[in-house]
Amino acid sequence: MQLTTNKKQNKKTEQKINIKAALTLATTALFGGVAQADTPEEDSWEFDTAFLLYSEVDRVSAGEAILNAKKTFSDEEVLNLKLTIDALTGASANGAVAQPNVQTFTRPSGNGQYDVVAGDTPLDDTFHDTRVQLNAQWTQPIATDYSASAGVHISKEYDYLSIGINGNLGIDFNQKNTTFSIGASYFQDTFTPEGGIPKPFASMLIGDSSSPSWDDDFAQTRIGTEDDKTTTDMLLGFTQVINRRMIIQFNYSYSMVDGYLTDPFKILSIVNNEGLAQDYVYEQRPDQRIKQSAYVQSMYHFDTTVLDISYRYMWDDWDIESHTIDSRFRIPLDGGSYIQPHFRYYQQSAADFYAPYLMQSKFELQRPEFASADYRIGEMTAYTLGLKYGMTVNNGHELSFRLEYYHQAPSDAGFEAPSVLTNEDLYPAIDAIIAQVTYSF
Amino acid sequence: MVLIALVGISKILKEPNLNKQPNGKINKRKLTLTTREDSYCICFNAMASPCEVLIETESETLAEQLGKAVANEVWRIEDKYSRYSSLSACSKINSSQGKPVAIDQETFLLLNFAELCFVLSCGVFDITSGVLRNAWRFDGSDNLPNKNQVNVCMTHIGWRRVVYDQDHITLDEGMELDFGGIGKEYAVDKAIIIAKNFTTRPVLVNLGGDLSATSPRKNNQAWQVGIEHPGLVKKDSNKSSDKRLIVSLMKGALATSGDANRFLLKDGKRYSHILNAQTGWPVENTPHSITVVAPQCIQAGILATLALMQGSDAEAFLTEQGVKHWAIR
Repeated sequence: MQLTTNKKQNKKTEQKINIKAALTLATTALFGGVAQADTPEEDSWEFDTAFLLYSEVDRVSAGEAILNAKKTFSDEEVLNLKLTIDALTGASANGAVAQPNVQTFTRPSGNGQYDVVAGDTPLDDTFHDTRVQLNAQWTQPIATDYSASAGVHISKEYDYLSIGINGNLGIDFNQKNTTFSIGASYFQDTFTPEGGIPKPFASMLIGDSSSPSWDDDFAQTRIGTEDDKTTTDMLLGFTQVINRRMIIQFNYSYSMVDGYLTDPFKILSIVNNEGLAQDYVYEQRPDQRIKQSAYVQSMYHFDTTVLDISYRYMWDDWDIESHTIDSRFRIPLDGGSYIQPHFRYYQQSAADFYAPYLMQSKFELQRPEFASADYRIGEMTAYTLGLKYGMTVNNGHELSFRLEYYHQAPSDAGFEAPSVLTNEDLYPAIDAIIAQVTYSF
Repeated sequence: MVLIALVGISKILKEPNLNKQPNGKINKRKLTLTTREDSYCICFNAMASPCEVLIETESETLAEQLGKAVANEVWRIEDKYSRYSSLSACSKINSSQGKPVAIDQETFLLLNFAELCFVLSCGVFDITSGVLRNAWRFDGSDNLPNKNQVNVCMTHIGWRRVVYDQDHITLDEGMELDFGGIGKEYAVDKAIIIAKNFTTRPVLVNLGGDLSATSPRKNNQAWQVGIEHPGLVKKDSNKSSDKRLIVSLMKGALATSGDANRFLLKDGKRYSHILNAQTGWPVENTPHSITVVAPQCIQAGILATLALMQGSDAEAFLTEQGVKHWAIR
């Protein structure tokens, strides 16, 4: 209606262009809305398949296969099924710091030990897992301008089981130019790590694992065989069509995690005043985390290109704050293909209990309530640079390729470094390559 | 008004869509498939016009499926917006006697479009003006209505009195909607959307002269479209066939608006069936016919109609708008 008014006001001065342009816009409005409802896709399945390779230099490699099947029924009900299979192998930082001498660690299972050469960031190279994940989502209109969605999630790894449910309600206003959505989800995760759940701050048992007393001694460092956590998420969303070219979205989410949030595979080095490791202790994290995030995304459609920019601010009661800027720019090429550069920047502050190592003097005086040397909750910046190329192959199916480079640089959040540690790389950077092929049919 | 020469073998497709009339009579809707050199033509009747779908393909199955899908869509729109069928959504609105009637999204969007046309034409184009046919009968005779008859009709006209929102419409008693001015062109555009979703092969949809093509023909050739106009034929009866206007269309739409056989002639003055909804009287000095090219058929149709409503300034209006057109006076 705004359009109409504008045209009317300008009529005298610019009638020449107005009628043709106004009709073009009006035609877009006329067919934009109905066109989707009438596509012959109804009652047929649409499939997306993707294969992704993620490879960190010297560390973890992951392969992931995704099969997404979507069926739209004639009355706008949509069933979406997604199967994801990941396989991870490689080495993952165990939390200890590099030392000027060889270090020996016991594997999380208690079966065997491994050595890390002087100067290297200790990595546990037995890290491998296969995860199968299944999501099913049902969406349907429930009344004019109201749509509801419900889904289930199940994810199984060798030592991990996650079961979740979610529900979402969407309400359209203002001739569907405004959408308000409210959603909630609940997950129940059970963790049964091989070797059991380590006792917080217990010393890692190192020695002769073939000795008769080994198993009993190892059991002394354990408090159980499994533990669990629950996650409750709430999401409020608001989407507004600004004009024919621009759409903007705001989300707020509140997430409450309760239970076992510690990583049973991570340890901390206890170092003396020279910085030499005297002991390795299992980490301990709080059993609750409340995470909130605010997200804004804007898509702008230029004449042919599309710019998609988003910003997320996340904060939690562990004192982690993060900023994410993500942008994609889609440039169409001849013959239905396109290229899409991608840039993402991420910056996070450290959790209040994060420590790259613990000083023996302080640790013996007073054991901290919580501590973790996991670089993923330390201070860091990361960026991703990528390029995607998509093309339409025979029968209108889409084939796309994505290649991305990821660089993560942990930084010093102001911890004192005793003499020998000043020569070690306490905050090693991670470089990774991500390659993905997607085929939709 | 538009005929594309049909040469080849025809067959009547099975499974005609049966349209049940209110009187219980079943109207057999059928499709005819014609094979041509490197294309197929599917013909059917809808909206009181001969209709055709041309598709450049070797696959008869594809042609048949597309033809059926297009015909079903055109028949669907006809059944929904025809004011002649008492079962149509249009008739439900027209017989509502002042009460609100529920409408769906498609109708809402069409009403929005009609609203814009009303505004752009300063009220000359008005989908409530159909009741004027109670006074005007354009049968080529000299039976002009009297002013009183026209004025009675005018009391039931006025888009501004129509109240509607996304879900409902309310018409004053005696008022009627007539989607005749945009329905056929709308159906062409909807058919093109279906064709594009169906195939990447070049397709042309022609509903009684209002037409649109998805893409140029093979090897980037243009579609050759003949525009016939009775006025032309009469003027040069000796070589009528030569006077058929042949238009090349790469892609996009073409719509024609004109008075063809629909006019009144009194005391040497020709009264066109293009009525000004503001006055209830014909627009004077209109061309006999105007053909306009635009990306969408509904745009072309409205531009042609709005041009005719400019009377003697019709061609100037289109030139000023930078719209490609052909006018016949």
